[in-house]
Order: sequence, then structure tokens, then C-alpha cells
Amino acid sequence: MTEIIDDQVATNFYFDKNFNSQAVKLLPGEYYVTDKDMLLVTVLGSCVAACIRDCQSGIGGMNHFMLPEGGGDAGSPLNASARYGTYAMEILINQLLKLGARRSNLEAKVFGGGNVLDGLTVANVGQRNADFVLKFLQIEKIRVVAQDLVDVFPRKVYFFPKDNKVMVKKLRNVRNTTVSQREKDYKLRLHKVDSGGEVELFS
Amino acid sequence: MAKTILAVDDSASIRQMVAFTLKGAGYEVIQAVDGQDALDKANTHKVNLVLTDINMPRMDGLQLLELLRQLSHYKTIPILMLTTESGNEIKAKGRAAGATGWLVKPFDPKRLLEVIGKVIG
Repeated sequence: MTEIIDDQVATNFYFDKNFNSQAVKLLPGEYYVTDKDMLLVTVLGSCVAACIRDCQSGIGGMNHFMLPEGGGDAGSPLNASARYGTYAMEILINQLLKLGARRSNLEAKVFGGGNVLDGLTVANVGQRNADFVLKFLQIEKIRVVAQDLVDVFPRKVYFFPKDNKVMVKKLRNVRNTTVSQREKDYKLRLHKVDSGGEVELFS
Repeated sequence: MAKTILAVDDSASIRQMVAFTLKGAGYEVIQAVDGQDALDKANTHKVNLVLTDINMPRMDGLQLLELLRQLSHYKTIPILMLTTESGNEIKAKGRAAGATGWLVKPFDPKRLLEVIGKVIG
């Protein structure tokens, strides 16, 4: 059974009083791209976020994803995990290009991949996500101009695409389980993904 | 003689995965990085099938499809779209422009080979 992965455009908009800015909060599995002066915010545990922008126009976007576990030979370029990660990154890049960004102008700042989720069957899931995003960007020849990856803390990431600024707060004292629970729920949704998208032949 | 497939995608990662899949099944693969590159290569190589992304710089997959269908060799050659786009409107445009089929990413290698086998025997 094919199940389409519900990667979605983030819709949690709010006005951030601290930064006096329109903002959107990204949850696991979401992305957002903009050519406006606004703030993109997310909280990462084991997931990674790529903040990608056109260094000329300031058009920028962010995603928030993790690789599903398993899905075939981990070393194969065709394992379901790598195919899903590539898809998550391509969705973000495609939307940036649609807004007018140029592929050759893209540069990236990448965050997350903390080894903060317990109860995982794959060790170092955060490291795996971090390794994937760096390898993907290397293959795509997109410059990585900043990174804060792995470690053991969740992170809150604030991305201001117009200003080419990212602020990262390491959450050393998390008092509730919201972040890890959201990622666990997302991870369960990803477990259902082991094949591809829909196929239609016209003739 | 092995059949030749022109695989078009601006993402190097996708091109690698698609080429790995197709070569593993015995196809010859020519890769192109966008629609313009694909059109140039389509003019110099008579391929048996075109597999193309849609969102690409310089020339997108739908423009490529329209231009290929105007070339005598490509009037009846299968052209499959492999894309993140799944909306009915864009799919209808592709169909009207002469696409043979539509595969939504992320692609399943086994399913991709099944579809290709079906359209080029």
C-alpha cells in the first residue's frame, strides 16, 4: 500500500513580540519558504532543519524532518530512508526556485540531529539525520555556511531569511515532553512510508 | 541491445538514484541537469524513453515535454514525468502536452522499473 507522506507547508503563524516580527512555527514534517521579511521558528530534537536561502535575493526557507528507520540496505543509495530524505530536501528547494530563487545562489545553514530521543531502535538517530543533510548538500553543491549539529540537547532555531541571520538556543532544561512527543508521533507516521508516491499511466 | 533512457533532474541526488536503479536493470542511461540540457541531448541521442522532473531551472519538464513532442523521433517515444508535483491541474497539463505517465516522488525503484518495463516492453 502506497502512502503519500504528509509533508506540509507550515501554517502556525503568529506575531513574535520578542523580535517584533511576523513569524511561522514549523512542526516536524513541515517546511516554509518566503520572500518576505519574517521569522521562521522551529524546535529540534533528533530532527534536522535546513535553512536555505538565495544569497542574492534573500528568498529563504526552512524544513524540519528526520529520516525514517529501515527501508532496506542502509548502505544502498536506494534505501527508503535516503529516498525520503532526498524528497524532503527537494520539496524545500523546489519551492524556493518557484519563488524566484536561483539554484546557483543557494546556501545553507543546518541544525539539529541531537541524540535526544529515547526508545529508538536505531542508535544515534540524530547523527544519522545530520550526516544525511550534510551529504545531500555536498552532492547538490549547496554551500553550508553554518552548522550546529548532533550533541545531546534539543534546539530552538530562529531563521531570519531576509537578514541572513539564524539564532540557535540550546534547550538544556526541558521541563516537558512536547518536543520529543511530537518527534515520536512524526516518526510513527514515517514508519508507514516504505514505498513511493502515486503512479498514473495516461495511455 | 540495451535500451537507452534519458533521465532529467536538476537534483544530483535524484539523478544518482535514478541512474543507479536503471543501470541495475540493464538500461543505458543518459543524464541531463535541466530541460535545455535534455533537449540538446535528445537531439544528439535517439533514446527509447525520457524520464523527467518538472521543477528545474532554465527549462522545466513541461516545456521540455512540449518541445520533444514536436520532434519527429519523440512524437511516440514514452515520456514519463517523475516529480514532487501531484496536483490535478498540473497533471492535466502534462497529459494534454503528451506525457505518457506521472510518477510522484519519492519514487519506489521497483515500481519505477515496472512502469518503464510496461511502456517500453
